[in-house]
Amino acid sequence: MKDNTYIPKLAKIIQIKEEVGGARPIKTFRTQFIQDNNFSFKCGQCAMLSVFGKGESMISISSTPLIKDYLQFSILKMGRVTSSLHEMQEGDIIGIRGPYGNGFPMEKWKGKNLIFIGGGIGLAPIWSVLHTALEKKEEYGDSMLIYGARTSKDIVFKQELAELRKKMKVHLSVDVEEPGWEEFIGFVPLNVLEIKPSPKNSVAVTCGPPIMIKFVIQNLKALGFEDEQIYTTVENKMKCGIGKCGRCNIGLHYVCKDGPVYSWAELKNLPQEY
Amino acid sequence: MEKVLDKKSFPQWVKKLSSYTVYAPVQEDEVWNYEVITNPEQVNLDFPNTVLSPKKIIFPQREVYLEFSASNEDGLEVKEVLPEEEPSVIFGVRPCDARALTLTDKVFGGDFEDIYYWKRRNQVALVGLACHTPPSPNCFCLSVDGSPFSKEGLDVLMSDLGSKYFVEAFSKKGEQLINPAKTLFKPPTEKDKKELDKNRTEAKKRISRQIQNIKKIPPKLKGMFDSSLWDEESMSCLRCGICTYLCPTCHCFDINDEIFSSSPLSGKRIRTWDNCQFPDFTMHSSGHNPRQGKASRLRQRIMHKFQYFVERYKNYQCTGCGRCISRCPVGIDIIEVLDKVSSYEG
Ligand SMILES: Cc1cc2nc3c(=O)[nH]c(=O)nc-3n(C[C@H](O)[C@H](O)[C@H](O)COP(=O)(O)OP(=O)(O)OC[C@H]3O[C@@H](n4cnc5c(N)ncnc54)[C@H](O)[C@@H]3O)c2cc1C
Ligand code: SF4
Ligand code: FES
Repeated sequence: MKDNTYIPKLAKIIQIKEEVGGARPIKTFRTQFIQDNNFSFKCGQCAMLSVFGKGESMISISSTPLIKDYLQFSILKMGRVTSSLHEMQEGDIIGIRGPYGNGFPMEKWKGKNLIFIGGGIGLAPIWSVLHTALEKKEEYGDSMLIYGARTSKDIVFKQELAELRKKMKVHLSVDVEEPGWEEFIGFVPLNVLEIKPSPKNSVAVTCGPPIMIKFVIQNLKALGFEDEQIYTTVENKMKCGIGKCGRCNIGLHYVCKDGPVYSWAELKNLPQEY
Repeated sequence: MEKVLDKKSFPQWVKKLSSYTVYAPVQEDEVWNYEVITNPEQVNLDFPNTVLSPKKIIFPQREVYLEFSASNEDGLEVKEVLPEEEPSVIFGVRPCDARALTLTDKVFGGDFEDIYYWKRRNQVALVGLACHTPPSPNCFCLSVDGSPFSKEGLDVLMSDLGSKYFVEAFSKKGEQLINPAKTLFKPPTEKDKKELDKNRTEAKKRISRQIQNIKKIPPKLKGMFDSSLWDEESMSCLRCGICTYLCPTCHCFDINDEIFSSSPLSGKRIRTWDNCQFPDFTMHSSGHNPRQGKASRLRQRIMHKFQYFVERYKNYQCTGCGRCISRCPVGIDIIEVLDKVSSYEG
């Protein structure tokens, strides 16, 4: 009999950073397993986080697999589990099981320009793959990030984005006008049209709210991207993470196991149940 | 292994199985269900369809996974809770319900083995009872690759021959059930075999319900995601979930924590059956729900069983027990829905 995947491994929160305050707060957590652990994962995979007594939530791993001594998660406060996570302090213990999901097919992307397009908390799954690509710069072409949030206050990884500008093109946007904002004003899909990334030898990776993804894909297609050049992630409600509880399916696919990463070529042929 | 057993000797056989936990159909409050038997004389194999299938023994409706507790000021202890080691045997398993377990096997197997399911599954022997008369007027096993005397998933199959049972064992587990009571079993005569054949031919004829053109349904469903049929057919659905709770092949579950005490923390994590007919089954915390209306949920039930499962595992996820038809309070009938799928144009 194999390992019992339902049993989470205990991990200590070693760092908590407040990314966004206000009504839709986001915090970034770094965790370390209490016991040595051979937790190895691929960019785009997720982990089931436990707050004992509250339950579990599926969260993208936002750190790169190249970093071995901690796992990073950026979490938007929503309901029971994510709210309890937001109340936790450094040193508190959570449970982690996983990794789950297919991850990004980065092998296939070698030699290509990578265009990352994110909205809101959708930068979390992108963050892992973006940093991995940066570390292995010689294996990929030019990378670019197009990212937007409701207001400048809702932008995650602010300091890191400033750093990132030294290493790749970063185009930020906010949804509505605000004093002092000097970059694009408007929704992320419109910024994509403004920046016009070239489809030539490129792959576009987009994560964010479903409505944003829909229009980003529409606009990428208008710019000449083929379905096979566009990748996205799907979020359906999840419990088991391993294709058994039957909750997260889109057609015959269990998003937890067969996804959450899909090329548009795959996703457009599945029923729209996400 | 083929044997015959006098009906009068049946309780003695059960008695010999004292090292097993024995389950058999028991009537309580007018309905039948599989329960643990303490008195072998109690076992009565003259029963109609049980409300729940033996799935409930292998995949219980509520099951503790793990327990957690605060161990010291910042420590936490997590303890895996596995099913007990107890060899068990279930008597009177209907062939459709045994086949259903071969389907849940596929779901709980694969690259992530579900240890809770398999602990019980591997310990249980299934003794089937062939259906010489259909236990429910809504039986349709013949339409979904089954039969009233299918041995798929069974360790032993008993068939009624009037004063005795024809007993076939198909597995080591099955033979191990017969061995301790060897002297009670006799080799079948030619006459017994002939009678068995005759009964089986008759049994097939007694199944009156059937799905038309079942082979054409999976490809047909592929083009029917946006069909108005789902609205029409789900109109009267109450979202009670009975159809899926009683289904021997449905496997969806929820995971939740229950706490005994919040300070110091102690509690357990449980899984419970869940149901695709409930609106919050797929609802995100944001309120967004990929399956908004009842139509999308009836569609999911039908498509999962007759398209997605077929694409993934090459079987219909339905074994024709008829429970969802008999027990739906508003008379939604899966055979009628599938027949409408067959004849649907547009
Ligand atoms: C593949 C994937 C990756 C994700 N990555 C992130 C991330 O990096 N950062 C982040 O902030 N959020 C992420 N989410 C969303 C996050 O899982 C939900 O916001 C969270 O589970 C809500 O749980 P809750 O207990 O706070 O809310 P409640 O409303 O109290 O939820 C109760 C339970 O329902 C389930 N659930 C409810 N909504 C969702 C949902 N949208 N997705 C999945 N399960 C849900 C969970 O099992 C949860 O425990 C991701 C979801 C998926 C499917
Ligand atoms: S049993 Fe009938 S009413 Fe209840 S959820 Fe199923 S189809 Fe709807
Ligand atoms: S989360 Fe259970 S099947 Fe996907």
